[in-house]
Amino acid sequence: MEFSRRDFLKTSAIAVGAAALPVWALDAQAAAAVWYDVNKDGLADAALATAKKLGASYADIRINRYRNENVSTRERQVLNVSSAQNFGFGVRVLINGTWGFAASPIMTTEEVVRITTEAAEIAKANSLITRKKIELVPTPKVVAKWKSSIERDPFDVPAEEKVAMLLKMNEAALGVKGISFVNSNLGAVNEQKYLATSDGSRIDQYIIRTNPSFSATATDRASGDFQAVNSLREAQQIGFEYMTKHDWVAEARTAAEHAVMKLKAPTVNPGKYDLVLHPSHLFLTIHESVGHPTELDRALLWEANYAGTSFLTPEKTGKLQFGSKMVNFVADRTQPQGMATVGYDDEGVPGQSWHLVKDGLFVDWQTTRDTAKLIGKSISYGCLHADSWGSVPFPRMPNVSLTPSKDNVSQDDLIGGIENGILIYGRGSYSIDQQRYNFQFGGQTFWEIKGGKVGGMLRDVAYQSRTTDFWGSLDGLGGQVTYEIPGSPNDGKGEPGQSNAVSHGCPPARFRNINILNTAAGSAPGQLD
Amino acid sequence: MLFTEAEVKELTSKILSMTKADDASANVGSNRQAHLRFAGNNVLTSGMRETRNANVTVWFGGKRGSASTNDLDDASLKAMVAEAEKIAQNARPDREYMPTLGKQTYKPVNAYIQATANLSLTDRAKQIGAIIAECEKSKVIGAGFHSAGAQAGGSATKNGNFEYERSTGVGLSVTARTPDGQSSGYFLRSHNDIARLDTMRIAKESIRKAIEGRGARAIDPGIYTVILEPQAVADLIGGFGFGFNARTAEEGRSVFSTSGGGTKLGEKVFDDKVTIFSDPWNPDLPGSQSAQGGIPAERITMINKGVLENLTYNRFWAAQKDRKPTPGPVNTIFQTSGPTNTLEEMIKSTQRGILVSRFWYIRTTDPRTASSTGLTRDGVWWIENGKIAYPLKNFRFNQSTVQMLGPGNVLMVGKPERVGSSEGGGGSLLPALKVKEFNFTSQSEAV
Repeated sequence: MEFSRRDFLKTSAIAVGAAALPVWALDAQAAAAVWYDVNKDGLADAALATAKKLGASYADIRINRYRNENVSTRERQVLNVSSAQNFGFGVRVLINGTWGFAASPIMTTEEVVRITTEAAEIAKANSLITRKKIELVPTPKVVAKWKSSIERDPFDVPAEEKVAMLLKMNEAALGVKGISFVNSNLGAVNEQKYLATSDGSRIDQYIIRTNPSFSATATDRASGDFQAVNSLREAQQIGFEYMTKHDWVAEARTAAEHAVMKLKAPTVNPGKYDLVLHPSHLFLTIHESVGHPTELDRALLWEANYAGTSFLTPEKTGKLQFGSKMVNFVADRTQPQGMATVGYDDEGVPGQSWHLVKDGLFVDWQTTRDTAKLIGKSISYGCLHADSWGSVPFPRMPNVSLTPSKDNVSQDDLIGGIENGILIYGRGSYSIDQQRYNFQFGGQTFWEIKGGKVGGMLRDVAYQSRTTDFWGSLDGLGGQVTYEIPGSPNDGKGEPGQSNAVSHGCPPARFRNINILNTAAGSAPGQLD
Repeated sequence: MLFTEAEVKELTSKILSMTKADDASANVGSNRQAHLRFAGNNVLTSGMRETRNANVTVWFGGKRGSASTNDLDDASLKAMVAEAEKIAQNARPDREYMPTLGKQTYKPVNAYIQATANLSLTDRAKQIGAIIAECEKSKVIGAGFHSAGAQAGGSATKNGNFEYERSTGVGLSVTARTPDGQSSGYFLRSHNDIARLDTMRIAKESIRKAIEGRGARAIDPGIYTVILEPQAVADLIGGFGFGFNARTAEEGRSVFSTSGGGTKLGEKVFDDKVTIFSDPWNPDLPGSQSAQGGIPAERITMINKGVLENLTYNRFWAAQKDRKPTPGPVNTIFQTSGPTNTLEEMIKSTQRGILVSRFWYIRTTDPRTASSTGLTRDGVWWIENGKIAYPLKNFRFNQSTVQMLGPGNVLMVGKPERVGSSEGGGGSLLPALKVKEFNFTSQSEAV
């Protein structure tokens, strides 16, 4: 997943230089003018005809434009206003049961023919060493347009408005005694994606995601200690209305107060505790321990060299008890505000919703047209995705969400059932093994629960567990009113590494008798685990 | 498709001539990357991607604006410059503005190898085909990733600087798994020169680890003496050379901060066997000729015999602190100034200990002490009485890197090898290490 350090430095240098495309005048730039002049259907015709002539049994072309805008501040100054965009096309061909792919930013018919030919040459060279041919399950021809459901496009909002909003948040945090540093950031992503396939599909999609974040750091220079608390709200597929429908200033102030409190909070005593995990924390645990092991390509060993395989295997489908009977996980590419929500995936399969875990039982997988075929499925669930026109599309995670209780259960109700426990908010350090058994998660803030009530703050907390034991210990779920849908813009997987945006809706949930360790250095190993 | 020096000069000059700003810099870059991915002893995906881009940053009275494009005709470049100027005129003053560099003199590095840039699809298919055949013959399931690429680009400033650089990189990683799913081996190497990448050695090492890792036993977690192969060292500290930020340390939020508001510069922070430096001209790990936004890179030592010798000051922070900006790092090289030991000598000298091939999913748990958690992966062995006794199941660790490299904890250091990046160039030069105490905190049944 990682860039090499050298590549990273070069990329960073370019990225820094590329900073600050005009948010308020983006569409006026020449590059965009070229984009708007592109005859996408014409280029697609050239690619698909060339692929067919060269022997492709299937081909597709994606002609995409990506805009990334970022406003970053620290304390009372603006660090950067940046907006980068790029566009280009990628052609995928299947020849002799072997994939070939090539991509270029030059939008001419001649270049499309050259690149398609190169993709075909790659497929043909590699087909000589292919052992088992790739086959695809069918999918209906689609001609459609799809757009994210948003109220205000963040790319239409002046940078000054964004800067003012972030500086107001910073000021609120800096107003808390003991806060030394505040960083805040507002990112927006726009994907304009065109897909044409040799099955006849032609699809245009316009996707918007908004990602605000901040971090307040309290330092104690005398002792050399420092503690930070980050924002609890996460990225969503939503417009700029995200910034006005939520009180970010109040959240920044609270985060600052908690950072100061964390400096003085007592360190946790390791041992067994009951946990209540808030959605701002639980979503990442779902991502790592449920989202990834139910990716079929991992179970087929396709990710063995990098992201890893899975403790789930096809023969366990419908048989393995994944969690307690209260546990239902639904994979969903249609969920409102879900980062992975789309009209269609990158091979034209419509967005769908399906159970991965039903009443605690592991029942199904995340699939694409080529992986579905290998377990005897007749359709794909639409999980193919590429993070750029220049990246090979491959299986990526949809939104995977935990179904809330049908009853009107509050977070306080869950806490009320605990004698000795910890309430955790926010994403902290997270690590899980390559088959998704053993995990360790930290958080942003930790609160002691005693006798059914929330007490003081704790620090240096992480919990470590085994996936099926953990979900088997769940005995309480919040109701619909407690449900949130946090997301992450940067789920890494694949070689070359690609990034995917994904959300995990969930209510707060209660887990029993979980192993808590103390992450402060110097803890004896016996205490750690 | 890759830019020549003349093309970079022409493009950057053209961009700079288009602006009336007080100060400006222009960058252009080009890149071609090819990869082949295989898994389940079968070809998976394979592709080629070409990219190019240009960008400009301008300043009017310290107010900055930048813009970029990946369409490089004159009209697009003009529009890009106009946009950058418009942003600058509407911006707030850049409080960290530093005038762009005047003419600098760079000592070139030899990071570009034509044979790597000319990757042959047929040769690559033959090499990967041979690796798949070796996996089949050895009755293991092979997966891997071959990546080769070339990049060229440069920059120019209104104050008269110009630089051009190009580089190539090729990498291969292979994972071999036994069909019962009970053992896995991994090996990775990369280089700038495709002729220096021994693809069959990479395959055979991963296969050997998978075969020798069968029948792994579980032992209790705890503190053990460990021998870390260079890959495991790379996983833990591969980017360590880049973690010496002076500003963060002086702001009191770094492992190199001290109580009372100072830094640990000049203090002994690691064992005296630890020396970490950056050298742009190392033939096994050529770095970049420029560092910190264009200043000529120099060889620079970060840790000298355990003493923190340098923190990195960028141009702005250096000016604030009345220092020279730090001419690096541009790569990470861990080379002890004392005697080195082979992996075999490390094993032979160990009564009871654990040999680790690599780590996985490492995340910081406490930045104050550079503590992290993660897991072993693809090969762990128990050492007893100077010999490898049997393979072990994987562990999770919770360990401070500073304590791991701390005084008295580093027992032996090997000769540095190039390890780290499967995506072509980059990586680090790192040795195998034998460390006295390393903290494994739970077992993992993952393979």
